[in-house]
Amino acid sequence: MLILAASSILTAQQPDYSFDSAKAFLTTHCQKCHQAKSPAGGFNVERVTAPASLQDNERKWLSAINRVRNGEMPPKGSPAPDVDSREQFAHWVAATLRSQACSDGITPGPAPIRRLNRDEYTATVQDLLDIHMNIGAALPADGAGGEGFDNAAETLFLSPLHSEKYMEIAKMAMDFAAKEFKSRTKILVAKPGPGVTPDQAAREILKAFLPRAFRRPITDADIAPYMDLFRAALKQRQTFESAIFFSLRSVLVSPLFLFRSEPPNTSSEPRPLDQYALASRLSYFLWGSLPDELLFDIAAAGKLHEPQVLKGLIGRMLRNERSLIFAERFVGQWLRIRELSANKAPDPKLFPTYYTDEELRSDISIQPIWFFRELLLRDLPLTNLLDSKFTIGTGKLTKHYGEKPVGRAANQQPTWIELPADTHRSGGLLGMASVQMVSSYPYRTSPVLRGAWILDSLLGTPPPPPPPNVPSLDEAHARATPTSVRERLTQHRADPVCASCHSRIDPLGFALENFDAYGRWREEEAGKPVDNSAELADGTKFQGPDQLKAYLLERKDLFIRNLTTKMLGYALGRGLTLKDSCAVDDIVAKVKENNYSAQTLIESIVLSVPFRYQAPVSRSPKEEKKP
Amino acid sequence: MRHSISRRTLLRGVGVGLGLPWLEAFAASSASRNPVRMAVLYMPNGVNTAAWNPVGSGRDFALSPTLEPLKDFKDQIVVISNLYNAGSRGGDGHYAKEATILTCATIKKTPGADLANGVSMDQVAAQRVADQTPLPSLELGVSPVAIGVDAAVGYTRIYGSHIAWSTPTTPLARELNPRAVYERLFRASSGQQANSAKTDSLLLDRVLGDARRLRSEVGTADRLRLDEYLSVMRSLEERVQRAGSATKNPWKARAPLTKAVPSDRPASHPEHVTLMLDMIATAFQSDTTRVCTFMFGNAVSDVSFRFLEGVDSGHHDTSHHAKNPEKLRQYAIINRWHIEQYAYLLGKLRSMKEGDSTVLDNSMILFGSALSDGDRHDPHKMPLVLAGRGGGRIDAGQHLVCSEDAPCANLYVSMLDAFGAPVERFGDSTGQLPGLLHT
Repeated sequence: MLILAASSILTAQQPDYSFDSAKAFLTTHCQKCHQAKSPAGGFNVERVTAPASLQDNERKWLSAINRVRNGEMPPKGSPAPDVDSREQFAHWVAATLRSQACSDGITPGPAPIRRLNRDEYTATVQDLLDIHMNIGAALPADGAGGEGFDNAAETLFLSPLHSEKYMEIAKMAMDFAAKEFKSRTKILVAKPGPGVTPDQAAREILKAFLPRAFRRPITDADIAPYMDLFRAALKQRQTFESAIFFSLRSVLVSPLFLFRSEPPNTSSEPRPLDQYALASRLSYFLWGSLPDELLFDIAAAGKLHEPQVLKGLIGRMLRNERSLIFAERFVGQWLRIRELSANKAPDPKLFPTYYTDEELRSDISIQPIWFFRELLLRDLPLTNLLDSKFTIGTGKLTKHYGEKPVGRAANQQPTWIELPADTHRSGGLLGMASVQMVSSYPYRTSPVLRGAWILDSLLGTPPPPPPPNVPSLDEAHARATPTSVRERLTQHRADPVCASCHSRIDPLGFALENFDAYGRWREEEAGKPVDNSAELADGTKFQGPDQLKAYLLERKDLFIRNLTTKMLGYALGRGLTLKDSCAVDDIVAKVKENNYSAQTLIESIVLSVPFRYQAPVSRSPKEEKKP
Repeated sequence: MRHSISRRTLLRGVGVGLGLPWLEAFAASSASRNPVRMAVLYMPNGVNTAAWNPVGSGRDFALSPTLEPLKDFKDQIVVISNLYNAGSRGGDGHYAKEATILTCATIKKTPGADLANGVSMDQVAAQRVADQTPLPSLELGVSPVAIGVDAAVGYTRIYGSHIAWSTPTTPLARELNPRAVYERLFRASSGQQANSAKTDSLLLDRVLGDARRLRSEVGTADRLRLDEYLSVMRSLEERVQRAGSATKNPWKARAPLTKAVPSDRPASHPEHVTLMLDMIATAFQSDTTRVCTFMFGNAVSDVSFRFLEGVDSGHHDTSHHAKNPEKLRQYAIINRWHIEQYAYLLGKLRSMKEGDSTVLDNSMILFGSALSDGDRHDPHKMPLVLAGRGGGRIDAGQHLVCSEDAPCANLYVSMLDAFGAPVERFGDSTGQLPGLLHT
């Protein structure tokens, strides 16, 4: 839910912005088309007589303010309000809608059925069969939805390509497992012999396998069809083993395995989630895989909803090495680090070591992931992400950053190291090469991209896209002419339309000019000293990364709110609704109360209403018909 | 086969009063007739229009600098000017335009929850001939689906990563690995599928049972997801059963697959593209499928083109040239490189003999971008080239200058007709595209 997270920092909300200000905006800029009997888009602003009027059309308002922020409305040809008034109007509407939505407490949102994404599928099959093989590699990658993650239920669609791959992978995985001692021991818990018929043995095997595969207790109705399949295979003169492995293979293609679905809440009220469904939510959140035996046992005992039990489990789950999967998936997508292996890969001619030095490459991309996980394990303040006295170092990284290896930093293994007291230039996410690289072009730095990255990824306030038909900035040919990128940007900001946003974007990037496009520290560029000074539109001045980080730390609440929104979206695996933003408020408050503690964030998410409760399911009798 | 002879041809036949023997001739010729294939090669980020636009119209036209690599194919192509996809109006500069290049619909602005586009024209074709080849269609690309949602404009990047949509809510995942495409073609065409048809059918029957049961237990919204599952699994089941049944499966490979198994780790962007184009050629030659879409990149792709002499930036970055002559020059080089790849595929298809004709003669290979000038995100005057004679239906060798802002959906109506999948309407079409097909 981009809009609500994006309560603007581009423009600080004026405290005296009121309903009247918003109404004046509507009258001046919108009413001409959106009025009378047939208002454009069925959207009549004359009906807005009080803040409460917004409630009638919540969704439409959310989409409307998005369009206003982005300059799509008012449309081309009408006098356009400036960016400040657009931001202030959008901010007021968002805040009003939110306070209305939260007035009757926090309620759970939808929990749609979802396919396991490629990573979840791979990890789940690996854990289920106890094999170590990247079997999901052949599946198409999943796109992202919701808060920007590839586990969003709404965008996990199925293509014919998936159906073929699932069939192939299931066969490959079972063939592999059938030959592995460890897997066989785990799967073949019974065998036919004296006093044990093939039927009985197969039933025992299925009874052990199916609950894990379906992540819930099973009934006879679950087993029967797989027994039939086993028998059908036997009839085709397969051996006992090949017949049972065939039956198990089909489990891996079944929607009961491929989809995560929760027993629907058919009551009319929200209710606590089924124990096993909660176990799955927890394990797919923190491990990206199926629940282990302990989680199952606690669910079976009906104790999973107890806060103390959950807190204990979270600590245990984070300490498990599988939480690295969570850190990789969350950080890799939140900060877009994953793009380093796609179109943000640095230019091979300019930065050849990225391609020749596999260790360095891996250290670069894993640094923010390790760092994030360490914050969780050590339960440190999340503000360390903005600036920190510590970082994760390796020998290769230290060398890359042009620093002298200090003590354990010379190690090859990622190590938690303390930074020199005089500068924090390497502290926090902004001190990491991966971050400086994803916010650059592969071949040069860009203050615009870096500034926009900070506004979007860190603060959750993405700048609006450039308005159509505005001459875009020609940064790239700075080198062909005597002017520098900075001078060109200054020129660009001379145009008031451009300046309205760029005066807020570019300075953030200027302060980081000491980092080259490969994340290395530099004092000079093309023979000239790097100018890392910056001034924002409101006159705030800062210079270099240390001061930029201090500036961002003053905005830490915005950062924490964005991080919370992202993580709740990731944990729920869907886009957040207006109602969810009430839960976000609540979680943010708890995190602040606990000095921004990293574990508090995870705990508060897990204990939140949207995570632990289930909304009533909507059933429309008209659509009962099967396709 | 219903549509292998156009209505017009039929009428003409009736007009000259042919009797029964003619019907036999019709049956015989339709059985041996070469199938028509259709591919779309999509280039993101628009073109340098000055370097793109050909001079002159009709048969008497001169190729532009960007189109110059097509000079050996001048009598096999139609350069099409002035078309517009009205469904793409509004929205943002890229997703709303590029995601709809083949659907002529308007996408819903959403980070994902209510994804909506239209059915793409390649899928209209594929659905019509699904039972005639081992694979209904191939969706190919070289860049993985873009990460995240574009928070600034409010669209999931899934839109910009898919041009083929089998339903308004189902974009089709693309295969990016050339080796995997090869293996897929091989499995589908070699009889491997037939060998395991019996067990595969048993298995699919089982999981379809689970899906029906689960479907009956969930709420309305979730049913749509399970319908998607049922649909792809059923169509796989049908294909498996067809492969396993000699009577149902008259299909035979028209040519063996190439023996050259492609790498699964292409060393560079150009090599990756070449290998994918090779796969399109081999799929069409063997008749493993008749429909294919290929994306040179996702919308807003900023793939670095520094591998080209004289280019120092990424694709999207260069497309925002701000009228800077140096950037415009580089933009044209990038466009031209795409046309060279297109020419490479055309050359391959032309070298593949098919009776007296070539696979190219029996194909329609559309090259296009959803934007003209990328700097302005201009969706008018879409840059489009159609190559191949579509089995003799396409009036090739011309620069077809359409009326300003004629719906590009009309082009698709004509292509679908030539393909043998005629439709009354497509998107905002108003009829056929005059001058494209032989009358």
